[in-house]
Amino acid sequence: MNAKLLKHDWSKHLILLLAGFITFYPFIFMLQTSVKSYYQFQHNFWLPTWPPNPLNYKDAFNSIWPYMINSFIVSGVTVFAVLGIASFAAYTFARYDFPGREILFLGILALLMIPGILTLVPAFLLIRDLGLIGTRWALILPYLSGGQVFAIFIMRSFIAGLPEELYESARIDGASNWHMFWRITMPLCKPILVTIGVMNILGTWNDYVWPLVTLPDDRLWTITVGIIRFTGHFQGLEAYGQMFAGYVIASVPLIVLFVFTMRAFISGLMSGAIKA
Amino acid sequence: MEALDQETASRGVAQAGTSLKTRPSWMITLDRMRRRSFCYLFLLPTFALLLTFNYYPAFSALYHSFFQWDGARFKQWHGIANFIRIFEDEVMRTAFKNMFIISGFGLVISITFPLVAAALIFHLRDLRFAYFYRVMYVVPMVVPGMVTLMIWRFIYNPQIGLLNTLLRSLGLPTRVWLGDFQYALYALIFIGFPWIAGTSMLIYLAGLQGIESSLLDAAAIDGASGIKRFWYVELPLVASQIKLIVILTLIGAIQGFTGPLVMTNGGPGTTTMVPGLWLYRNAMSYNKMGYACAIGTFLFIVTMVLTFLNLRFVQSSAEFEGA
Repeated sequence: MNAKLLKHDWSKHLILLLAGFITFYPFIFMLQTSVKSYYQFQHNFWLPTWPPNPLNYKDAFNSIWPYMINSFIVSGVTVFAVLGIASFAAYTFARYDFPGREILFLGILALLMIPGILTLVPAFLLIRDLGLIGTRWALILPYLSGGQVFAIFIMRSFIAGLPEELYESARIDGASNWHMFWRITMPLCKPILVTIGVMNILGTWNDYVWPLVTLPDDRLWTITVGIIRFTGHFQGLEAYGQMFAGYVIASVPLIVLFVFTMRAFISGLMSGAIKA
Repeated sequence: MEALDQETASRGVAQAGTSLKTRPSWMITLDRMRRRSFCYLFLLPTFALLLTFNYYPAFSALYHSFFQWDGARFKQWHGIANFIRIFEDEVMRTAFKNMFIISGFGLVISITFPLVAAALIFHLRDLRFAYFYRVMYVVPMVVPGMVTLMIWRFIYNPQIGLLNTLLRSLGLPTRVWLGDFQYALYALIFIGFPWIAGTSMLIYLAGLQGIESSLLDAAAIDGASGIKRFWYVELPLVASQIKLIVILTLIGAIQGFTGPLVMTNGGPGTTTMVPGLWLYRNAMSYNKMGYACAIGTFLFIVTMVLTFLNLRFVQSSAEFEGA
């Protein structure tokens, strides 16, 4: 039966596999070249070679790890801060009626339409005037501020959809607002928190222009900025093995994140697209 | 919703007969605000950040579009001169031309390749294969965008790049792709070929999977198969997804500039200049903050108008009654 199914769809498989091969070959090339010596690279350009040279990874790691650490710190601090602040706000908007609720929420929604290209210049000047150029705060604060907008938007509708009976019975039991937030709402929000978290990490890990303009000092550079200098350095030495090993290392954190949160990762990618 | 009713009801009971009729409404509002003061406390960090890092820069950008401004002391009212300059600026004109080319190719690409791939995956009879292909096309998206760009820079490398090595082994002429006045822009557009691994494919696939299976069954009974079914049944039903992809592609083409900045820095000459990159350079290299703000404002307005037109006039998915 399986063979029959395959036979019937063979033309589709052919197209999908061919397109898949073209899509993947650059990444396969990255992987195979990352363990090639200079000699192997020169003499066997297209195919994998034996034996592998794991030492390429040592060289690459030595020059790339400071950037990785910086990215970890910035993305890590940002994602937890965004989840915290957005949870507070989303819970408040979803579960309480207070004067000005609609207009305040509209004030957040409107920001979804403001593109980064509009605010780039004044935001840079603001960071400069606040004396934050060349500090991690130059990244974290704007990331936090911008990242919470979409997070609040998504979380508010999720929390508003939770059954009211939960809160009613909690109120009858005399639960405080804090208790209802922390003990009832947050545990139920875990899946959506993972999705928002993944989406946020994707955004901050991949951002290039903002760290480029706000961090003149290379000690704080994130991976996106650092990898360009890294490329220039190893390309100048014609050390292509090390160069591609660095690219692999730079990709590992997101791949690990993907493996552990596949479902949330995919919906994060899609909602990230809708946000833009 | 019920929570609110209940809240209001209990408040009503507490205040019944006493103050409700006699006190003016603003005092009642004030009273409610006091009662709900913790709500504002919960929202305080959010709004403190938004006002500082989002609202202030947005209004500052709009405001300073009308000034000649070096970003520091020098600031002079300039009327709409900045906006006039956008249209007279030679580089800006090249940037707009490139933007149109990128948008055009981007539109054609984004509603063909990923959609066809999504349709092929959707129609696989074996669901395990469908899942396999879906994951396969997601994986390249997991690689950081900058790494992908770096790999493509290597592909285009004139001496040892994949493209020229391939062409050389086939006996075809090679080029300095990213340094070529004629081809650099198209080399940028070609990045990511065959353009399937992307969020577009996932969005199309989700759209196709959302189609009522009874509709597809009905089409099959009526003898529609393959291309016919795709064209007459599925395509109208994913119109909403196409609409979304169209606007996302346009926004990307109008505002994006990371690709050109990293790959060519607008060169050679200004052949790969795009509006966002010209904004960036005016601000960061030439210190013309007012002009940069005006470009930003203009791009923002263009995006808004296109989004509005798209929402208003482009058709959404066909709706079937009694499906």
